Amino acid sequence: MTVWLPILIPVLGSALIGGLRRKSRLLGPIAVASAAATSLAAVAVALSESTTTWSWGGGIELGLAAVDAGRVMVVLVPLVATAVIAFAASSMSEDQGLGRLLVLLTAFVGAMELLVLASDFLTLLIGWELVGATSWALIGHDWRNPKSLISAKEAFVTTRFGDIGLYIAAGATFAATGTFSYDALASSSDQLWLGIVAGGIIVAAAAKSAQLPFSPWLFSAMAGPTPVSALLHSATMVAAGGYALIRLQPALSVVPWFGTTVVALGLLTALAGGLVAYAQTDFKKALAGSTSAQYGLMLVAAGAGFTAAGMGQLTAHAFFKALLFLGAGVAQHAAGTLDLGKLRLGRALPQIAVLFGIGAVALAAVPPLGAAFSKEAVLAAAVESGAWVGAGVVVAGILSALYASRLHLLAFGRGDITEVEAGPTRVETVSLAFLAAATLALSLLWLPGGEELLEDLTGGDLAEGKPWELLVSLGGITAAVALVWTLFKRGSLVTGGLPDPVRRFMAGWFGLPASAKHVIVDPMLRTSRGWSKGDVSVIDGAVRALAAAALGASGGLRRGVEKLVDGVVWALAGGTVRTADMSRDVDEIGVDGAVEGVATAIGYGGQQSQRSQSGMSHDYYTVMVVGGLVAVAVAAVWR
Amino acid sequence: MLTTSIVVPAIASVLILGFPRGRERFTRWFAFGVSLVPLILMIVAWIRFEGGPGFELVESVPWIPSIGVTYQVGIDGLSLPLLALTALLFSASIVFPVDLKGRAPQYFAAFLFLEAASLGLFLALDLILFFVFFDLSLVGMYFLIAIWGHGDAHRSALKFFIYTLVGSLALLLGILGIYLNSGDTATFDMIKIISTQPIPATGLASVLIFWAIAFAFMVKTPLAPFHTWLPPAHVDAPAPASTILAGVLLKMGTYGFVRILLQVMPETFDRFALPIAVIAVISIIYGAMVAMAQTNLKRLVAYTSVNHMGYVILGVAVAATLAAPSEARSIALTGATIEMVAHGLITGALFLLTGSVLARAKTYEMGELGGLAAKAPALTGITLVAAFASLGLPGLAGFVAEFQIFAGTLAVYPWLAAIGLLGIVITAALFLRMVQRVFLGPLPDRWSLWTDLGPWEIAALAPMMVLIVVIGVVPAWLIDVINSASKFMTGG
Repeated sequence: MTVWLPILIPVLGSALIGGLRRKSRLLGPIAVASAAATSLAAVAVALSESTTTWSWGGGIELGLAAVDAGRVMVVLVPLVATAVIAFAASSMSEDQGLGRLLVLLTAFVGAMELLVLASDFLTLLIGWELVGATSWALIGHDWRNPKSLISAKEAFVTTRFGDIGLYIAAGATFAATGTFSYDALASSSDQLWLGIVAGGIIVAAAAKSAQLPFSPWLFSAMAGPTPVSALLHSATMVAAGGYALIRLQPALSVVPWFGTTVVALGLLTALAGGLVAYAQTDFKKALAGSTSAQYGLMLVAAGAGFTAAGMGQLTAHAFFKALLFLGAGVAQHAAGTLDLGKLRLGRALPQIAVLFGIGAVALAAVPPLGAAFSKEAVLAAAVESGAWVGAGVVVAGILSALYASRLHLLAFGRGDITEVEAGPTRVETVSLAFLAAATLALSLLWLPGGEELLEDLTGGDLAEGKPWELLVSLGGITAAVALVWTLFKRGSLVTGGLPDPVRRFMAGWFGLPASAKHVIVDPMLRTSRGWSKGDVSVIDGAVRALAAAALGASGGLRRGVEKLVDGVVWALAGGTVRTADMSRDVDEIGVDGAVEGVATAIGYGGQQSQRSQSGMSHDYYTVMVVGGLVAVAVAAVWR
Repeated sequence: MLTTSIVVPAIASVLILGFPRGRERFTRWFAFGVSLVPLILMIVAWIRFEGGPGFELVESVPWIPSIGVTYQVGIDGLSLPLLALTALLFSASIVFPVDLKGRAPQYFAAFLFLEAASLGLFLALDLILFFVFFDLSLVGMYFLIAIWGHGDAHRSALKFFIYTLVGSLALLLGILGIYLNSGDTATFDMIKIISTQPIPATGLASVLIFWAIAFAFMVKTPLAPFHTWLPPAHVDAPAPASTILAGVLLKMGTYGFVRILLQVMPETFDRFALPIAVIAVISIIYGAMVAMAQTNLKRLVAYTSVNHMGYVILGVAVAATLAAPSEARSIALTGATIEMVAHGLITGALFLLTGSVLARAKTYEMGELGGLAAKAPALTGITLVAAFASLGLPGLAGFVAEFQIFAGTLAVYPWLAAIGLLGIVITAALFLRMVQRVFLGPLPDRWSLWTDLGPWEIAALAPMMVLIVVIGVVPAWLIDVINSASKFMTGG
């Protein structure tokens, strides 16, 4: 049952924070404590490898299990969250909706832990979509601002499109095995359904991890407060896609095209995202581009079958990316802008510059940092799956070094600003320091036994690295840093030495958002409006026309029937009256009176029937009859 | 016991007409008290329910023995959740405050009359009895819309009445068809018909019967393109009547699909399962797309009903596909039934909420609203939960239903499942837009005095919201009851 704790603690913590007064001093401490407690519980769960199941109903069993890559991930999520939540609590005031932010961030951790611990597709999907919905609320935190709402919606709708893939994967697993469990899928040999599962997972993971063509949603996600970005990009939300591919790789590797597709997708995004990050002049968007690129590298490793390399990269990235985003938050607070042309806060914020520098060096994958170890592991994996893939990863690595050094110089290089009003609080600095320390601590992986440790912890494999790979990487990094330094000295680093139209095109994801708008969003909205008009004019119009025709027919029928009934009634009445007249001549007055009474009654009845026929009920029943006939006719034609 | 749940509101609806007009509070309390009787009875029935195959707690009295009409009622795993839903929604709707236009006794009489008819329909195990309740429900709803509605209420009510009456005529023809084609065993007794399956699977008669009845239920459910009576009826109806219309009356159509088409003539349904599934997917996409273009809040919610009923019928059509594996058919049918309950709670709540908006803003136009979260946290929070439930977020009732429907459909009609799944993306977009337009963004000055939900509004909504969450988080108690029927119907 301990396996529930990493989910329950944040959920209860979130509820507790929600119950506090808006201005309570306990908001931050409780949020941090619950994240820290979650981390401890997660360690216990990871060590005990505990599992559990519960009944969904209808004979379906759902499961949680801390196994393989999940053991690392379950600890990573709350650990990063602890630093980020502490930063958030310190950087934001109660008037800016701190309580709501902490409730959501804490709940976010719980949802992510559910996703991480899932051992079946239904549980995965539950966590997956809850993480997405929480992201919507977090990105739209500034809910009075229509812009941030539009961004939040775009992020949610894009990732939900990817969720379709997960629904399909879950359904296909059920079709193949009669359950939703990962284990059952792994032992299935039904190639058709396995292929559908693989396709679904790839789409879902690509959307969540901001791979092509879904990458631009991460730009929208920048509308949220900086701590939100820091958590979203590092160990939650975006991490879900990469994690799911790593976790499910063993089951899906039997699908022949699975590995190739994942590698291709990852490599393409790593290259494209690298260019975006290099060309961006917005601090957070540059980091967002690098997030897509780094997850691309994880996909390459996972697709090549070396999940330990992918998981190592995910772990290193989680720490340094959260660090970089929090650094961006400090810079934004201090300078009032995210424009990379206007920062260079190195003189004003030397401590932060050093901490951010550690993150940037990790991003550039410079040994002996752990991030470099995992990056080399990715390269080794890539080389295993083909020389071209290896070459691609080398280029992607050069791009990483380019944008990492560019970011550091532009943001925290030594510039003219010597003093800022709004420096970081102590808690903020400590949060950054914690993440920097974790980044440095991962350097231990270079020590002997590091490879075995990583393989043991993640339950995956590493590829055998070759010495020349490291040399090539180092050469690439050196060249990249030299280039960036030259540009910096020339003062043209903001544009990256690129002509403006090219730079803009690259920075804006190669026109992808605009084409999505023109090719998908706008036509959808137009169709929606068109169908809405057609619903009233065409479909309801047809119903109205049918009703009118029925009424017309009924009118004609009524006139005919009325004439007939009238004729009969009056003829009968007249005949009776005439008979009466005759009988008056012949018979006695008593008989005469009776007959006349009957005649009057019949005449009255005739008038009455005429009246009721012109009432509305008459029309209704005609409509009914016509409708029934139409139904029968339709049925007959269909056959 | 089951009969009591029909008789008590029926008698009370006559009694209540004699109440003086002025005493609105007392009349409401009385009506609420009466509506609790069926609710308690259904809870008792739930406890006594054993979940075996077939019907339980059956009560049977000959009615017109010469032609085989019996008064017969009973429950199974399909009808029990719908009955409990019906009883709950009626109690909640009666509590919900609304302008009674000085005619309290008549209003509550119409409500209780409608409750009796609705419960009767889900309890009925005789085709003629089913038909009688089907038509009586129209009458009750007609008056509620025409008298206590707003806007062009008379016209909308009439349209609703005539359109569904055309459908009910087709239903009557179909029922007579079943009777006339069942040979020596001619009866209207549904238990007998279900166990003996008298309708031959082939031949023109079964086709005509099938489509006549299917037409009736497609209008009632409604599925595109037979849905155009729904938006005006909803928009002009008072909020509690909308809740009943969406939550209970639409379910009569989907329930009929299962109870009559699937159970009485499964082999004929099997032949047309694919076309019905296609119509369902069209409704899913069409309903969502048209809903997205709406600027009128209540019209938007009304169109999402078309979308959700598409999910239900898709699940039923999968269950009707005899060649498919029985696990897939069973999970789809269970999902469809949960969707009926979930939609009743979710859309029922959304319609009550539109009533709260109308009472304050005097408009449904979303363009005139905005920023209400600043003034009305309860209204915003409850709407947000209902909206997310409606777009199928896990942890809430709608997901439980939609997930099971799609999991079942994927095994049988993978392409239809893939297309239908686009519906969950469109509904996500449209509900987020709605929330954003009405509750978020800057608050217009004219709403600076906006008041949050009152205690009675919250009292009516609370049980529905609680159930939406409970079903979403721990669905086993509901799934297991429904599954007892689904397994039986799909031969699992």
